[in-house]
Amino acid sequence: MSIAPKGNAVCEDLLRVEEVTKIYDGTIKAVDNVSLTVASGEIFALLGGSGCGKSTLLRMIAGFEAPTQGKIFLAGEDITHLPPYQRPINMMFQSYALFPHLTVWDNIAFGLRRDHLPKEQIVARVESMLSLVQLSQYANRKPHQLSGGQQQRVALARSLAKRPKLLLLDEPLGALDKKLRETTQLELVNIIEEVGVTCVLVTHDQEEAMTMASRIAVMSEGHFLQLGSPDDIYEMPNSRQVADFIGNINIFDGIVEEVESDHVIVRSADCSHYVGYGMSGNSGRAVGVALRPEKILLSKEKPAGKYNWCDGEVTEIVYFGAYTTYHLKLNSGKLIKVQTLNNARDLSGNFSLGDRAFAQWSDLAMAVLTQ
Amino acid sequence: MERSSDGRVDAVKGQVMHKISNALRNFSAGRHLLIGVPYLWFLLLALVPLLIVLKISLSEMEVTSVSSMISWRQGWPTLKLNFSSYLFISSDALYVQTYLSSLKYALLTTLICLAIGYPFSYFMARSAKHLQPTLLMLIMLPFWTSFLLRIYAWKMLLVNNGVINNVLMSIGMIDAPLEMMNTPFSLMVGMVYSYLPFMILPLYANLSKLDLRYLEAAADLGANPFKTFWLITVPLSKAGIIAGAMLVFIPALGEYVIPELLGGPNTLMIGRVLWDEFFSNNDWPMASAVAVLMVLLIMLPMAIYNKYQSEQSGLNS
Repeated sequence: MSIAPKGNAVCEDLLRVEEVTKIYDGTIKAVDNVSLTVASGEIFALLGGSGCGKSTLLRMIAGFEAPTQGKIFLAGEDITHLPPYQRPINMMFQSYALFPHLTVWDNIAFGLRRDHLPKEQIVARVESMLSLVQLSQYANRKPHQLSGGQQQRVALARSLAKRPKLLLLDEPLGALDKKLRETTQLELVNIIEEVGVTCVLVTHDQEEAMTMASRIAVMSEGHFLQLGSPDDIYEMPNSRQVADFIGNINIFDGIVEEVESDHVIVRSADCSHYVGYGMSGNSGRAVGVALRPEKILLSKEKPAGKYNWCDGEVTEIVYFGAYTTYHLKLNSGKLIKVQTLNNARDLSGNFSLGDRAFAQWSDLAMAVLTQ
Repeated sequence: MERSSDGRVDAVKGQVMHKISNALRNFSAGRHLLIGVPYLWFLLLALVPLLIVLKISLSEMEVTSVSSMISWRQGWPTLKLNFSSYLFISSDALYVQTYLSSLKYALLTTLICLAIGYPFSYFMARSAKHLQPTLLMLIMLPFWTSFLLRIYAWKMLLVNNGVINNVLMSIGMIDAPLEMMNTPFSLMVGMVYSYLPFMILPLYANLSKLDLRYLEAAADLGANPFKTFWLITVPLSKAGIIAGAMLVFIPALGEYVIPELLGGPNTLMIGRVLWDEFFSNNDWPMASAVAVLMVLLIMLPMAIYNKYQSEQSGLNS
């Protein structure tokens, strides 16, 4: 399925949210002047903790809430004040909201019947949806007779049956257990890509956002902290909040000592950081240097050079199987985490509690956080 | 290191579970006792009297008492069943008509209560959360006054020189008083007025639990509010509708006080026939037969309801 361009308008941006604000009860700003565009065929994730406004934004796109200010366009058409039942948008609800009194078949056919499609077409469409999510033999069951994973697939089939221009996913995997989540994640992306539908996804799970989405907006207190591709957000967080929210990270507080076009030197309590790229701003400025645990190398010998290493005592060892996380207590008392891959079965070369260890990293391993 | 501590936790968990299940087993005697007390109550005060009524209905009326069912013949007990009361009821058009008109009034009461009660409960369940306790209290407020007094009050309102007629005549809307009292109209007013809360309460309980996400999902799939109501809200509130209908229909069918006070001589209802047989005609077997048939008439919708309920729970398991 592809979305036919309307007239001569090119649907590069399928969804456009323009300076949308939502205020509840006159005072509570749930969404604060947010703008975004989603290109046709893209999977876009709104990521944030509870109460960050991501669900409110999604509900405004679906039409369940009206923005206090701003406009929402779909394929160039202003849909800000269109009721949900007139929008060519379908949503897969958190914990699915499958109609408990209807069979799987009737749940999927519900939206098609509202469009008064001819009977044969409804039958054909429902059958194809059932085979898409591999539930053909469950057509006559009621939702409560299905497992969580099956319910999730029915919900997906129901939201795709009408061939919406835009599919909204509200915590699509939130109700599944961890093991099932991983397989379902890929399945979901495969189906979405097979159908070719544009997708806006809301989640609080950064892994879910990273694996599924082509772009992510990290939200907090009603606005976007950062918007970018998953690797942008992971490798180049623009603020402490984003860095903290996405994965594990060590942040060294420091003062900029030297700014050049090709490097920056930041001095922190435990070490000097030589950052291999330039930045704007003057020396003397307080910044954070963010460093991912997996980008640190742990050794027993003192590294050469004066930059990008520090030493400390191993205070905790957490074994995860594929990798081990060491907690290192630096001389200033600061704790950092270091992750090492267990790529050999013999663990005798590893560190034990109380060992002195040197941590080192490369020039390009760090991100400088100015806010 | 971690594994061993997990193992210990599991072992402790197992012990705790074992203790809890033991404690539960010891409690089961107490549990049976708690369930048993109300059952014993019902047995003594409902089932036993009902069996006595059944027995009387199969006897004959003698001068001052009812004939005994078991007579002794040559040292052997003989069961003597007398179906004459039932035969008489089925052959007499008056009884059949009375049953039919009772059914009609009870059904009509149920339908009107549903028609008024459903939108009422719906908007009550949708109203602001802090208003709901007040609205609920207003529904129950009439129960603070005696049922009989309230029915008498309706009489005062509806009679020819009553409040309604006086007001309408004084503002010149009518010249002669409206004949409202002792008509099917006054009967229905009394019945609907009295039984409406019994429709509203279970419906409200049901509708206030309705998950609003289902309505959003329906809207999302293209159903307008009207369609959403018919296809989602109504089917999902079926249990509430049935419970409310039962609570209204069953007592309405056997209602005696309202037809007696508001219905007048033209509104036939089985409760009044029963009263007459017992207290005017003193024909206990006949009265009992009328009562037994009425109980059967009530048990029919109850059986349907129970079947529906067990089907529902069968689906859920």
